Amino acid sequence: MSFIPAFEHTDVPRPARYYTEPAFEDVLGLPMAYRRDGSGEATVLLHGAGFTRMWIPFYAMLAERLDFIAPEAPGFGETPLPSWLRSFDDLTILHDQLFEQLGLEKIHLIGFSMGGWAASEFAAFYPRRLKSLTLITPVGLRLEDEPGVDIFQLSPPDLMDRLFKDKTVMQEWLPDPENFDEGVHLYAEFSAAARLMWAPRYNLALERRLKRLTCPALVIGAEEDRLVPNAMSDKFAEVLPGGRLVRIPGTGHEPLLERPRELADHIIEFITEVAQ
Amino acid sequence: MNKLRFYAFHLMPYPYFPPAEEIESSWVSLSNKYYDPHRGRVLYNEYIDQLVAAEKFGYDGVGVNEHHANFYGTMPSPNIIAAMLVQRTTQIPIGVIGNAIPLHGNPLRVAEEIAMLDVISGGRIISGFVRGIGCEYFNNPVAPADSTERFAEAHDLIIRAWTDEGPFTWQGDHFYVPNVNIIPKCIQQPHPPIWIPGQGSLETLQFIARHRYTYMMVFSPLWFTKMAFDGLREECARLGYEADKNMFNACVPTYVAETDAQAHREAKAHLSWVFNTGLKIPDQFFFPPGYMSNKSFRNFMTQLQKGKVKPQAQLSYDELLKDRYIIVGSPETVKNQLGEYVEAVGAGGMIGAGSPFGPMPNWMVMKNMQLYAEEVIPEFREADGLPDYQRTAPNSPRSHAALAAQRGSPPEAARSRVTGGMELVDHRLSHVAEVIDPTMAGGGSGREASAG
Repeated sequence: MSFIPAFEHTDVPRPARYYTEPAFEDVLGLPMAYRRDGSGEATVLLHGAGFTRMWIPFYAMLAERLDFIAPEAPGFGETPLPSWLRSFDDLTILHDQLFEQLGLEKIHLIGFSMGGWAASEFAAFYPRRLKSLTLITPVGLRLEDEPGVDIFQLSPPDLMDRLFKDKTVMQEWLPDPENFDEGVHLYAEFSAAARLMWAPRYNLALERRLKRLTCPALVIGAEEDRLVPNAMSDKFAEVLPGGRLVRIPGTGHEPLLERPRELADHIIEFITEVAQ
Repeated sequence: MNKLRFYAFHLMPYPYFPPAEEIESSWVSLSNKYYDPHRGRVLYNEYIDQLVAAEKFGYDGVGVNEHHANFYGTMPSPNIIAAMLVQRTTQIPIGVIGNAIPLHGNPLRVAEEIAMLDVISGGRIISGFVRGIGCEYFNNPVAPADSTERFAEAHDLIIRAWTDEGPFTWQGDHFYVPNVNIIPKCIQQPHPPIWIPGQGSLETLQFIARHRYTYMMVFSPLWFTKMAFDGLREECARLGYEADKNMFNACVPTYVAETDAQAHREAKAHLSWVFNTGLKIPDQFFFPPGYMSNKSFRNFMTQLQKGKVKPQAQLSYDELLKDRYIIVGSPETVKNQLGEYVEAVGAGGMIGAGSPFGPMPNWMVMKNMQLYAEEVIPEFREADGLPDYQRTAPNSPRSHAALAAQRGSPPEAARSRVTGGMELVDHRLSHVAEVIDPTMAGGGSGREASAG
């Protein structure tokens, strides 16, 4: 079965640090890249709009205790972008199919930033496939009084500045302006993000649909998120039935890179608790 | 036929905002708090007067275009300005170059408005289609990634709406219209001339060649315009025809004054403003994600990196002159440089020739236009000095008498049954008592109701 026609497959540059070779799963004709390591509770993380292709320390920490799987969404990392992909619905179907093929019956699902929106969409459509849902500085709901900054209007330096509260950590993750191929690749990844999120920057139906969720839910917010208002994680915690909110000190929008140890500890503790 | 056609083009800028050094951009993020509608009123009306004046100065056409949420070009609806020009001119062609067709919910609105303009103007409309620059996608609810596909489909829909008899159903990927049946239809058949402004991408050139449309280059250095024109000629040849020179319009702001020195003194600040201030646009506004394909983005960045192209906001006045983004000088200089330019690129028309640009005051615009019309344009005209459009019959009869003589009575006269009556009555005669009711005819032979 394949409903995916030809897609633009270009050579994807490899980051200098933390790059690992992904595995590929043919999902309805689309070779979806994913990385998997560890054993324990099957746990999937849906990434945000950036920092792809890497097995970052945070992933390694989760893989020490969990069967940890990090797929790359179409147009991100090494998964090509099919021309028809236009919405989170398309992505949700791909995720369901991917999990099925990887033998993941019931999972713990983690979503970060844009991946938090993708995870919420998945949870709304397949609530019974989830053992738990964890959202890290997610986006996807409407904050009526506080639309926040528009990520697509930020210059690259402004975007980096707003992503990180911890500027020491930020310095480690600044893109190399001399790396031409990486620059072009980042434009492509942002283009994929814009396919999903350009207009509107929220899904009103999520507030209604997420009420179907029966599994435990954890929202992890930043101490001070200058990209997505803190009110967004507050609202997710309100919307998710039984949703709990923790904020990690010292973090902005990027807890995965800013405080990987604390973040991993929170998540491992939560998942272990749910599993028991 | 004349050697060259001259089109007066207006962006209709609003220049009263802080200098370039103090703003991030004159598009997208520059607040409309700087817009004073009372000053806007004066500007708009001056600008319209300037384009109207182009007819009596003897230009070949006038042009307006669509941009949103910026101070460089304040015509979010160019068709509205075109409507005013239609009413205030009598013969000159009017180009809407163009409407940004992917941006709107229903492309038929553009088809309808252009058709209205074409009918009311007597077939004087040139219809341009554009995607809109990247910036426009921040204030229209359309994803930049959909822009190319929506452009192609909107174009196909509009052309079919103009050419095929309605009603028909449109079932597209992006637009669905259960009943396409636009009224009015265009006077120019099968449709008004189509102009495509572009930046020389291969996709655009192939599209133009395939449809035999007219190309309009946006502000560019001479070498780049030449490369694009050569590319288009090649694409036309590939399709088995030789491209007519009037398929090629270059866009070169041109200013003429009594001497070279005087021309530079008068034009320098205003023409520089167009590039350095009006087009001060950060990359993230210019190429929102998905606006360019990965391939186009890579090509463009490669050119930037090699220093082959430079962001327009960074071009100095000397660079603008040297690369022939603009032409400025005495009548002799301008005539010579225009001649060389046209020879080099093979253009049939110049857009923005002797046109208003930037914050140039009205008196200076009019001075330029008059001098341009008297000193430059005749050099490129036949001995009679007429624009080409005045050598052919108008596209539509200009008077009731001419219409009656050329087209006779309508094939279907307006007829209806008057209340209580049995016969269809021709409305031209429905007020004539003996026609409505022959019994009222006083003895004479009453004229019968006829279908005309």
